[in-house]
Amino acid sequence: MSGARQSGSSTVWSLILFATLALFAVTLYTIFVVAPVEQKMGIVQKIFYFHVPSAYAMYIGFAVSAVGSAVYLLRRDPKWDALAVAGAEVGMLFCLIVLLTGPLWARKAWGVWWTWDPRLTTTLLAGMIFAAYLSLRSMGNAGEVEKRFAAGLALFGLVDLPLIHYSVQRWRGVHPTVITGKGGGLESEMYWALGLSFIAFTGLAVLLIWARASAERQREETARLRFELMHR
Amino acid sequence: MRDLIARFVFGFTMLIAPLTLAQEPSAEPDLAAAEVYKDAAEERAAKFVGVSGPEAESVPGGALMLGDYAIVWVLLFLFLMRMRGLQRHTAEELERLSAEIRASGGS
Repeated sequence: MSGARQSGSSTVWSLILFATLALFAVTLYTIFVVAPVEQKMGIVQKIFYFHVPSAYAMYIGFAVSAVGSAVYLLRRDPKWDALAVAGAEVGMLFCLIVLLTGPLWARKAWGVWWTWDPRLTTTLLAGMIFAAYLSLRSMGNAGEVEKRFAAGLALFGLVDLPLIHYSVQRWRGVHPTVITGKGGGLESEMYWALGLSFIAFTGLAVLLIWARASAERQREETARLRFELMHR
Repeated sequence: MRDLIARFVFGFTMLIAPLTLAQEPSAEPDLAAAEVYKDAAEERAAKFVGVSGPEAESVPGGALMLGDYAIVWVLLFLFLMRMRGLQRHTAEELERLSAEIRASGGS
């Protein structure tokens, strides 16, 4: 039964992998061939098609980490803890992508690498909260207390996610708002490129969280076996 | 009386106006000379002021975009390498545990 479930899981994994790879190929073609160059910013605007979906994938990762942490605090099941670690790591990866790719665009568009805009600041804050989470978890084999404390930190980080999203609408800032109600919108080809990129990045985030959670479960299981062997 | 006052005001105005007009051009060259002298002195001062703003220099948009996409792929690659390292470490640990169990006579 377990073997059959593992085989089915492996098939789903492979399907998502191939679909994501194909989507990335189509997305890159749409970004660089179909979508027009932006009138004022020029070619540097094409950063947008990876920058925004990366932020979305960051939300997925951090939200998964917070949900995994909440369920772990309720049930104490290591499976959920592994999911929380995986979500935090993948979210951190995409947070780094957002924080590194944004300044490259900002240098051209705003003339500066960084500014303390509300969205930039709240994104940096989320990155710092989950960096603290990962630092805590990377200190050797985390015990039950460290795991619970880290879970609390992930839930605290979850509070920052709506702040990032609504900071553009609530507070004054310089961050563009083209895909919200206040913005002037995008041309249809630009919408296609962005939409495809969103789907591709969702697939990528799911694959990475899945693989990382699986690796974390195996690592935890190995640590448990070693502990049992030592105390036998 | 009113006529006298009017003549006095007219005479005073005629006296003052040329004096006022005469002073204005003489003041300008002096100020300009002082400004030039001041600017020259400031230019010689030990102070460098960097250019700022988007117009100050040409920012290569293409290079920034390529750098941006490179960052995405490099970070993804590094993450995959880290996962590979973690899995390798787990596999090695499992092998060590199996060897220890075999050595201790366990099944």
